[in-house]
Amino acid sequence: MKALRRQRALADYTLAALARRKVKNLALVGVFSLVVFLLASAMFFASALRHEASAALEGVPDLIVQHLSLGRQGMISEDRIAELESIRGVSKVRGRLWGYYYDRVSGANYTVMVPDGGQMPAPGQVIVGEGIPRARGLDWEGAPLFLSRKQGDLNRFDIAQIYSSDSALLTADLLLMNEADFRAFFSVPEGVYTDIAARVRNANELATIIDKATSLMPDERFVSRDDIARTYMKLFDWREGLMVALGAMAMLAFAIFAADKASGLSAEEAREIGILKAIGWDTRDVIAMKLWEGGLVSVGAFLLGAVAAYAHVFWFGAPLFAPVLKGWAVIYPDFALAPVIDGSQLVTLFLLTVLPYAAATVVPVWRAASADPDAVMR
Amino acid sequence: MISLSDVSKTYNEGRPNEVAALRSVTLDIAREGVTVFMGPSGSGKTTLLSLVGCMARPTTGRITLDGEPVSGLPERFLTELRRVKFGFVFQRFNLIRGLSVLDNVMLPAAPLGEEPKTVQARAMMRLEALGLAEKALMPVEVLSGGETQRAAIARALVNDAPVLIADEPTANLDTALTHRFLDIVAGLRDEGKTVILTSHDPRIIAASAVTAVVEMRDGKVVEVRG
Ligand SMILES: Nc1ncnc2c1ncn2[C@@H]1O[C@H](COP(=O)(O)OP(=O)(O)O)[C@@H](O)[C@H]1O
Ligand SMILES: [Mg+2]
Repeated sequence: MKALRRQRALADYTLAALARRKVKNLALVGVFSLVVFLLASAMFFASALRHEASAALEGVPDLIVQHLSLGRQGMISEDRIAELESIRGVSKVRGRLWGYYYDRVSGANYTVMVPDGGQMPAPGQVIVGEGIPRARGLDWEGAPLFLSRKQGDLNRFDIAQIYSSDSALLTADLLLMNEADFRAFFSVPEGVYTDIAARVRNANELATIIDKATSLMPDERFVSRDDIARTYMKLFDWREGLMVALGAMAMLAFAIFAADKASGLSAEEAREIGILKAIGWDTRDVIAMKLWEGGLVSVGAFLLGAVAAYAHVFWFGAPLFAPVLKGWAVIYPDFALAPVIDGSQLVTLFLLTVLPYAAATVVPVWRAASADPDAVMR
Repeated sequence: MISLSDVSKTYNEGRPNEVAALRSVTLDIAREGVTVFMGPSGSGKTTLLSLVGCMARPTTGRITLDGEPVSGLPERFLTELRRVKFGFVFQRFNLIRGLSVLDNVMLPAAPLGEEPKTVQARAMMRLEALGLAEKALMPVEVLSGGETQRAAIARALVNDAPVLIADEPTANLDTALTHRFLDIVAGLRDEGKTVILTSHDPRIIAASAVTAVVEMRDGKVVEVRG
């Protein structure tokens, strides 16, 4: 009880002391929360990107077969499906139809696909990602989507559904079509596909299977899930790398800021500590009071920075990191990442900012409070 | 009784700027009454006061408080002595700027862990007695010189310490305020408190409230009267 009341008295003093140096403390909270804001933004952004990457990989087949003609990818014949099925350990072989469509109206690239089972649109209908109606400015429900491949040739599609998923990055520009519509729209003849996807029952046999398939079909290229994973990771890695660089810069700024605090107290603060000691405050009372002060400033600033970072990344689409997202800027005008928060990262950030700050606050205080207080007699 | 035997204080010992502020002081200070350390500037009055008040430790020698040795105690015991036995009125008063008069007066009680209401009532009582009740909620910066001193006295008395120590309390006061201060001192003496002052003010030395005068020069006690 006594100890509690003592802490309360110290906390009261701290509040009065904070209010008294309003400008200085607001500046402190400002700098601190700015650093937390930058670091947490980078962290939220990076982990959201990683989440996108793993979501992207989830749907990737074990093996993709592409046809190469003159060293470039061409359409692959459906005959390869049967050949592939004849190899032991290969299952669920299916031809895929997909491609990119440059939309002159919005200046954006859409990924057009014939879905693999599941939600197959009816003829004349499409299922689109959230980004497409937005890029087109279709703001009323049921507005038809006109697509044209050449001057004067307009194809009308009705939007059956607007696709939304956890992974905005991957589905925002997606346009799903019926197979017949796809072949007609892109003039793809029957009997060929963009590529062929297959499952492999035992991942360890993948290399053997690719060997066998290569001798069976010398003109085809075989891409394994791992190859794709690497490509995806590269795509996300450089974006994450930028984030890490930004984070490192913010951390450095924070280190300078903390070191500056650790290097000493202002003459006024040192005298105040001397006065408190002289009138009977223990060294531990002074330190507890300064811990209250540092705690209120740093925890408050941490919360402020973390909440602002959450809003920045997940509500406002990380405008500060716009350059990182440049390639997607057209299709994602107000692109929203799925909110994914890595709790352990947040805890780490807390420990990396609040604790050093507390230590940086306490060390000089402890030094000042351990000296004889007779200096305040003069 | 506060007793000093053969006490010396040397600042910056062993360095070129070494100063022997006190040399071999032996002195008894009675618990009843008002003791004044007098002497020219630089004679060691403040240093002696800080040793008596457990603000610093002597370089050599022994200090006892009511028979208990204090000079060798570790810092945290000295802090406790300062909190419960001594009330300080510093030469520069040392009120904490930006806080109200009342908050300043309540400061020495913060480590005690008492009910805030109790502390506040005690602080208000002291402020009342010193004619500062209406200024209790004002920031200390707005007080006049005399008021600042009385606020500092209230702070020194809030833990009801038996010994009040004041360094050059009348250095910046006019005659009327000096007499008001002496009246306060006389009142405290009558309450049974020990009062120890430093001064080179003849009005203080001559005051009827003063019971002992310790005359100092060059870090030594040259004469004790009363
Ligand atoms: N912290 C200190 N460091 C060095 N010298 C000091 C210190 N404090 C006091 N002195 C010196 O000690 C001597 C006595 O000082 P002081 O006790 O303040 O005298 P008084 O209060 O009588 O004016 C002076 O010469 C002063 O300069
Ligand atoms: Mg002095």
